[in-house]
Amino acid sequence: MADGQHVCSASGIPIKNIYTPEDTKDIDYDRDLGLAGQPPFTRGVYPTMYRGRLWTIRRLSGFNTPEETNKLYREEYELGQTGFSVAPDVSTVVGLDADDPWVTADIGHAGVPMSSLEDVQATFEGLPIEKVSTYMADRCGAVNTAMYFVMAEERGLDLQEIRGTTANDLLSWSVPALINQPPPQAYVRYAVDFIEWCTEHAPKWNPVSFDSYNARDCGLNAVQELGMLMATAIQYIEEEKKRGRVSLDRFVRRFSFNTGLHNDFFEEIAKLRAARRMWHRVIRERYGIEDPRCALFRVHVQSSGSTHTTQEPLNNVIRIAYQVLAGVLGGAQSIHANGYDEGVCLPTDQSMLLSIRTEQIAALETNVTNTIDPVGGSYYVESLTNQIEERAWQYVQKIEDMGGMAEAIACGWVHREYMDATIEHERRLASGDITIVGVNKFRMEKEPYEVPIFRWDPEAPDKQIERLKKFKKNRDQSRVNQALQELERVTRSGENVYPAVMEAVRAGGTLGEIAGVQHKVYGVWHHPIGV
Amino acid sequence: MDKNKVKILMAKPGLEGHWRGIIAVSSAFRDAGFEVIYGGHMLPAEIAATAVQEDVDIVGLSILSSNYMRLVSETVKELKDRGRGDVMILLGGIIYKEDFPALKEMGVAEIFLPGTPLDEIVEFVRRNTSEASQKVS
Amino acid sequence: MAGSDEGKVTTASGVPVKDIYTPDDIKHIDYERDIGIPGKPPFTRGVYATMYRGQLWTIRRLTGFNTPEDTNRRYREEYELGQTGFSIAPDISTAVGMDADDPRVSADVGHAGVPIYSVEDMETVFNGLPIEKCSTFLADRVGGLLTPAYFLMAEKRGIPLNQVRGTTANDLCTWSSIDLFNQPPPDGFLRYAVDLIEWCTQNAPRWYPVSFNSYNPRDNGINAVQEMGMLMATVIQYVEEAKRRGRVPLDRFVRRFAFNMAMHSDFFEEIAKLRASRRLLQRIMKERYGIEDPACGQLRVHVQSSGSTHTHQEPLNNLVRIAYQVMAGVLGGAQSIHANGYDEAVCLPTDQAMLLAIRTEQIVALETNVTNTVDPLGGSYYIESLTKELEERAWDYIKKIEDQGGMAEAIKSGWIHREYKKAIIEHERKLASGEITVVGVNKFRLEKEPYEVPIFRPDPRSPDILIERVKRLREQRDDAEVARALKNLEAVVRSEENTFPAIMEAVKAHVTPGEMARIQLEVYGPWTYPIGG
Repeated sequence: MADGQHVCSASGIPIKNIYTPEDTKDIDYDRDLGLAGQPPFTRGVYPTMYRGRLWTIRRLSGFNTPEETNKLYREEYELGQTGFSVAPDVSTVVGLDADDPWVTADIGHAGVPMSSLEDVQATFEGLPIEKVSTYMADRCGAVNTAMYFVMAEERGLDLQEIRGTTANDLLSWSVPALINQPPPQAYVRYAVDFIEWCTEHAPKWNPVSFDSYNARDCGLNAVQELGMLMATAIQYIEEEKKRGRVSLDRFVRRFSFNTGLHNDFFEEIAKLRAARRMWHRVIRERYGIEDPRCALFRVHVQSSGSTHTTQEPLNNVIRIAYQVLAGVLGGAQSIHANGYDEGVCLPTDQSMLLSIRTEQIAALETNVTNTIDPVGGSYYVESLTNQIEERAWQYVQKIEDMGGMAEAIACGWVHREYMDATIEHERRLASGDITIVGVNKFRMEKEPYEVPIFRWDPEAPDKQIERLKKFKKNRDQSRVNQALQELERVTRSGENVYPAVMEAVRAGGTLGEIAGVQHKVYGVWHHPIGV
Repeated sequence: MDKNKVKILMAKPGLEGHWRGIIAVSSAFRDAGFEVIYGGHMLPAEIAATAVQEDVDIVGLSILSSNYMRLVSETVKELKDRGRGDVMILLGGIIYKEDFPALKEMGVAEIFLPGTPLDEIVEFVRRNTSEASQKVS
Repeated sequence: MAGSDEGKVTTASGVPVKDIYTPDDIKHIDYERDIGIPGKPPFTRGVYATMYRGQLWTIRRLTGFNTPEDTNRRYREEYELGQTGFSIAPDISTAVGMDADDPRVSADVGHAGVPIYSVEDMETVFNGLPIEKCSTFLADRVGGLLTPAYFLMAEKRGIPLNQVRGTTANDLCTWSSIDLFNQPPPDGFLRYAVDLIEWCTQNAPRWYPVSFNSYNPRDNGINAVQEMGMLMATVIQYVEEAKRRGRVPLDRFVRRFAFNMAMHSDFFEEIAKLRASRRLLQRIMKERYGIEDPACGQLRVHVQSSGSTHTHQEPLNNLVRIAYQVMAGVLGGAQSIHANGYDEAVCLPTDQAMLLAIRTEQIVALETNVTNTVDPLGGSYYIESLTKELEERAWDYIKKIEDQGGMAEAIKSGWIHREYKKAIIEHERKLASGEITVVGVNKFRLEKEPYEVPIFRPDPRSPDILIERVKRLREQRDDAEVARALKNLEAVVRSEENTFPAIMEAVKAHVTPGEMARIQLEVYGPWTYPIGG
């Protein structure tokens, strides 16, 4: 970066040698920055931020079987993690039950299999879900969430009080090339149904977490990330506006967000600050919603896995440390620090411990929590915040011009952006434009670190298949059939499907069966990925 | 059909959805002048059937979900059963180094971990296919 | 810490921190006067105009162990890995000025650093390394052998002395914080130290003949304000001595002052500390001593992650601590950075720890883009407020030391050591009460150590090798030359002449560090560190 002419942020914003009061002279403090917890929320969503309460240490995890995942959750809880976050395995995300032959090789990989209510119950056995909140990275239709709710009901908990979040997000769903998915517009239908249902039945639950993490890991930059994120949220609001069933302020009240945390330290901080201001503008100016609580960009952030290298995995401890710090200085509400072995395997005990420790050290030793938005006022950060916002608005406009996010996905534009970004990233790596220490610079012949490796349990699939067999045997099949029929009926009629989904779960319907209704009605959509 | 052009089938035998690596490598192969068939998600049997039908020289597999031992061995078996045990198999994704010997024993020609420069992969194919493209049809 | 009660939240050094800072908090700060642009007084934003956009900081790690040969091997590895400057950690025997065969030091030979007893040993350390391309830091004993040996080595390699680049520690402040045996009193220290600086202004003008160092004092538990205060008070002491002697014009005397500070846990306080220190130094030079040349007011600083913050429990956690401390050093605008090995509290760095330390600096430099602009935090309401607050409090502390008669007097009288002692006791109290949190130690402590890390073990054969070497040195050298050199050295030390030429002569004649130290102590008398009791 020694050439004074061409220094840019990771997203391509030209960066000057130095920023001075000149660069921020047009900023009106009250209009553009303000205090934390007050519009436009640039400096933070809450008035006291970390002085009042630290962010949640919440790590996405799950593997092998519900029992083993439960054991892991109990350990994480003991170590100081303060919220749960369930990573579903490949079979669950795809929406096929464990006994479907397509999926046998994938059961228990990359997450925990949850085909039935029983699986969810086993995952949360003995855990105080009324005390902590849970994030469900649920597939289209929020079926696992329905299982979570039914579990809560059976524990005697009041759904009106239950806390947590369901992903329910079109953007992150669009990224992985998964089979067995409905088309984007169908996704939006299910997603909005779920939000509507929650406003009435589970008002403390966050029924959506707009999530740009996956998109960012495709190689998009911070501007594109923000743009897609905002455009997705706008898509949902437009859908509800069209339906007119729930007042918009109630609809958006518990929107939450999820982004990646990438390498450009200050750009990531500025991105979060810009996001807060943008969201406020969307809610207040575009939709005229007065209640300031509706305009809070409450965000969970995760260190970006695509920046963690397979080579020299211990270097990732450092990368993750900086990304966590950027998340803190950017004012996130909840942070997931990856395991340093993210590029090698699922987290081992050692790497899990280190990630929790990273957040604890940032929270308790560095004193960065002593004041809110400590970088506020910096000539550089305020300039960068402004520039990111401006560019992100332009990107939102691009997507709007195509008819909105669902349309942009359906016609293949979004996936072309993803693939272009992927190819461009490879080009910049090969040319040395981007440096990755230990990979394209200072690369060593022999791997210098020995780290423990996580091994998946080869018996997990059989265990899961067994369990599911038993589950199906013990249920009232006619009740299940009836519930599924009803589900198909409301799906076709355009009514809110979610009450029928809840019923199907109570009756013992499996994820695969409920997802099957989605395909029956909407058909299967293929992600437009290819060369 | 251009018998001198190396033909590669790129596929994901498991169901996890990471496509960044397979797309990057597929593009590099295409830019290098190889003929690329992008298969996306394909079960091992499908991969083998397509390999036969399209008469490919190489099958490239991308797996990021730690179930590669099973998926690779199934794919190899399906290819052998259809008389195409000669197809070169390349593997990319998250693969543990300690498993490399076993995979090579199974029949994988080479394994490419994340961070491998694309031109290295292209070079490998070039170097190792001058014989492959001269197979008896 | 993170409590919601107004007024109770402070930085690590006790500066109260408000819940939010706004333009109101900095409205009395004048940009031109107080902040300015980098490379120009008051240098708050950085000593150089383009900072890391022009040139990255030096990755320079203090290294040394076993024997000169082993150290050379490590230096070559570090150089291959991308380290850009060298830094010699001398062993205990070298630091205390006793030769390997002195029975008092036999258990310490080769420990905690590398013993260097002759020019040949120095040449071994730098065998095959391009000293004309890099610079070297010598943590020498005052009046010791390392600097003359380095210069003699350079001459032998055909590098003119006025081209040699590097630094000699030569610093009273850090010296005061370590209870080393066999030392002269502070005024003896000062004599040798100022002699070296004077000599270098004439003969090795690119060399930094002093690096005022507050790293060790900080590890004694003092806070950021005390650190700045002691550091600057030491600077003032040296300048006063030069003023008293009147031999070298002050602007030439101070022209190549270098600095060495700690990077501790309070992220923003440490950044503000560096900014405030730059402004402090510039004001001392310009306003107190009337030195106009702006280059004389530049605080060129090497920083090191604070070893006292690294735990032996769960050593891998230190990777995170060190990562934050390095980042703070970069955001604070340091010129040179030493990231400790994560195993700092367990052993000397293993290869793995060394690699990770270098990688930490490389990742900050090449992946995080924080180098894209100079002083990225400039203008932040919190940072500018904190910078100003720290500067004011540091001035108060300097005044306290001046009231004791200056740094040398304050050390001699025991005042400085009482400050250290108070700080150490206070730190333990805060740890016990939980006011300070150390993750994995006084909070979230696990019963069983969760990480397995490789351990460094010193070579048990080193002491014998070195004792043999020193004996052979004495046998092989010219006794008459040695006797002449020693006589000359003693005469010079007893006079008011500059000692350095005589030291160079002595080293040329293969006088050992122990022999030179003996003369020092004969003339100045041994000094007992005023700690304990």
